[in-house]
Amino acid sequence: MAGGEGAGSGAAECREHLFKVLVIGELGVGKTSIIKRYVHQLFSQHYRATIGVDFALKVINWDSKTLVRLQLWDIAGQERFGNMTRVYYKEAVGAFVVFDVTRGSTFEAVSKWKHDLDSKVLLPNGSPIPAVLLANKCDQKKDGSQNPSQMDQFCREGGFVGWFETSAKDNINIDEAARFLVENILANYKSFPNEENDVGKPKLDLDPLKAESKSQCC
Amino acid sequence: MGLRARRMGLPESIIAAACARSGQRVLHVDARNYYGGNWASFSFSGLLSWIKENQQKTDIDECEDWRKLILENEEVISLSKKDKTIQYVEDFCFGDQDSAEDVEEAGALPKLPVFGASGAEGAAQESEKECPPAEGALPGAESREPDKAGGTEPASATEGNDTEVTSENDSSQNMALDESSLELGKTEAAPSKIPAQEPKKVTYCQIVREGRRFNIDLVSKLLYSRGLLIDLLIKSNVSRYAEFKNATRILAFREGKVEQVPCSRADVFNSRQLTMVEKRMLMKFLTFCLDYEQHPDEYQDYENSTFAQFLSTRKLTPSLQHFILHSIAMVSETDCSTLEGLQATKKFLQCLGRYGNTPFLFPLYGQGEIPQCFCRLCAVFGGIYCLRHPVQCLVVDKESGRCKAVVDHFGQRISANYFIVEDSYLSESVCTNVCYRQISRAVLITDQSVLNTDSEQQVSILMVPPVDVGKPAVCVIELCSSTMTCMKDTYLVHLTCPSTKTAREDLEPVVQKLFNLNTEKETENEELEKPRVLWAVYFNMRDSSGVDRNSYVGLPSNVYVCSGPDPALGNDCAVKQAETIFQEMFPTEEFCPPPPNPEDIIYDEDEIAPEETGFSNSPETKPESSSEESSSRGTTAVKKEDNEK
Repeated sequence: MAGGEGAGSGAAECREHLFKVLVIGELGVGKTSIIKRYVHQLFSQHYRATIGVDFALKVINWDSKTLVRLQLWDIAGQERFGNMTRVYYKEAVGAFVVFDVTRGSTFEAVSKWKHDLDSKVLLPNGSPIPAVLLANKCDQKKDGSQNPSQMDQFCREGGFVGWFETSAKDNINIDEAARFLVENILANYKSFPNEENDVGKPKLDLDPLKAESKSQCC
Repeated sequence: MGLRARRMGLPESIIAAACARSGQRVLHVDARNYYGGNWASFSFSGLLSWIKENQQKTDIDECEDWRKLILENEEVISLSKKDKTIQYVEDFCFGDQDSAEDVEEAGALPKLPVFGASGAEGAAQESEKECPPAEGALPGAESREPDKAGGTEPASATEGNDTEVTSENDSSQNMALDESSLELGKTEAAPSKIPAQEPKKVTYCQIVREGRRFNIDLVSKLLYSRGLLIDLLIKSNVSRYAEFKNATRILAFREGKVEQVPCSRADVFNSRQLTMVEKRMLMKFLTFCLDYEQHPDEYQDYENSTFAQFLSTRKLTPSLQHFILHSIAMVSETDCSTLEGLQATKKFLQCLGRYGNTPFLFPLYGQGEIPQCFCRLCAVFGGIYCLRHPVQCLVVDKESGRCKAVVDHFGQRISANYFIVEDSYLSESVCTNVCYRQISRAVLITDQSVLNTDSEQQVSILMVPPVDVGKPAVCVIELCSSTMTCMKDTYLVHLTCPSTKTAREDLEPVVQKLFNLNTEKETENEELEKPRVLWAVYFNMRDSSGVDRNSYVGLPSNVYVCSGPDPALGNDCAVKQAETIFQEMFPTEEFCPPPPNPEDIIYDEDEIAPEETGFSNSPETKPESSSEESSSRGTTAVKKEDNEK
């Protein structure tokens, strides 16, 4: 899925993309809250650890010709010690790295997460996947004194394409951050279209089980 | 409810996933810093680190502080901290190693800038402190420069080399989008971008630089397309995390030559090496094998003979007998009975055609992906993973004889109801009666295939019959770059057999027959045709499969033991073991039912489950995060929409 799915043969027709986006960062920074706010328009103070959910899907009508399906992958129980499997990172085309502005230690861990990300997944052309830094819980009192120009510099040096102050609670900047990330993903996709995933090519379907199960249940 | 698994091999990972899936709280710990235990796969630099670690076998300081945590009515079963499962590791480089002296692995990243270098507050802390320190400190494999022949201290890479990363992998990325099915990667891999050109000479230097393109398995296996592992992957929907390629051909080694074995109906008819008569003989025999049970009169006179003897009575030419015995049934010439041979042949034939023209699948990125896929399922259902987390001992209640807790490296007690331990963790006193077998392994990086054809992207399996009577056959699996296990213009070759001596003694004769081990200058003409070995490693791995549980001394009944990898080609042994252990623990629970489709889950604000009690002492005691822990624990209310018709 690295690049997404193209649909239709003519350029004028609607294109559909499927993008896998990772949401990473320390425990309790609000990753699940951000996903739920963005995908389900919900916020609760009482989210528990993420159980039984691989990813959440957000469908975006990007423009009249483009439909984007975003798979937002939460990091599940492995997060406590930051030991992610390649299975989680594999084929991702974008990432949010989240920290909590009320806890400075979660910001210090941002570089560790970015490093882990870049060491485990690359775009097909070998460059890092676009990552957006989210300073979450901006509705609360900050711990530390990062001013915007320092954040800009941090992003440049750390290889982030940009950063946003967000609040899942007050729904601040979450749509904007997602839109910004998708713009970057689409830009990469345009410069390195992934032919493999274009529907023009016949897709090998060697699994008779699929046919069997479909005929059984319908 | 608590459950702990130690080491992250395939059976442990499957059990952990099954338990988390059925609502158990699972903690999975391993002293090592990578997933998979002896089932892991490594990048090239990662493998070099692994080799060094296993050649050195450093002693680990014993710290007895934890003893004070043991109560009067408790006993201790110490666990082994040294991993003794790998022996006789020998690696060889057949290229100019010196030229690789200054080469770094591409993609090795510069340290990220720490915010506030100008003196702002709250900065400049190495974030690594979040992680428990590694025992026997193996630094992060990916950022480590491989050590050189001179044994210079490896420096961590400090320069990015992004520009040198080529994009050869942009094809053949084909994630399984359809969650209901086990998706195959494109079988016909992208043709070489530079057609009709001499194969490029790959140097050791390039192997180091492109080290991340390698995913080198410690265990070499294939999945039978009707094997237990495929069935489990599909049933549990873990298949969504993995992609596979077909093994594209079955090879045989006969009279000093490598040839392709026709095994499917199409292969037999298209074969140029078989005569018309042979084609008929072979088809007739294979058709018979598919339902041999229906024709006992055909074989009952030979039930006490070997399969090889039976074959010699079946009007088959010597080459057909060779193909059937070694490449299709893959059984021993001397001690496989007729019935076993027929069974093996039938199994092979039944697996044909499910996904392609051979019975086998190989996971993209290597066999090491499979345990990780189950770990992801476990984590999605709340399982917690701690790498670099050694455990000192099991704590046993004297009265009940049951295991209550473990004490970890940091002196913390962690309680649970069930404990799953890999064999290699058990100390010598527990294993005094256990007799282990060994597996001999070799991994080679070569410059061309053992059998060149028009397509260079082949996944081949070759059974080399024993040189001497009584020796085991050697299984050779050759992987091409589109399996995502090796760099372009190279092949990764795995050799495996049950050990009779050291891995090198067992396998080098076969390597010499198939490959050219000389450096370029010394090569004689007849050797030119053979693929050149660029780099090789040999090692013996303990085979703890088939150890009877009763041969472990004094283990409490709620401690379950998983074996390490077995030498068989398929994965049935690990899956069977996992299912058996799971059923012993939870006889009424279903083993790995399909999880709900993420798209079918709806969130209901009113149905947040009450807080569960966790482990009596959770492993994370960092004061700063403990308040977060408690508020983010437990389950989010999720409901599965009933979409199934």
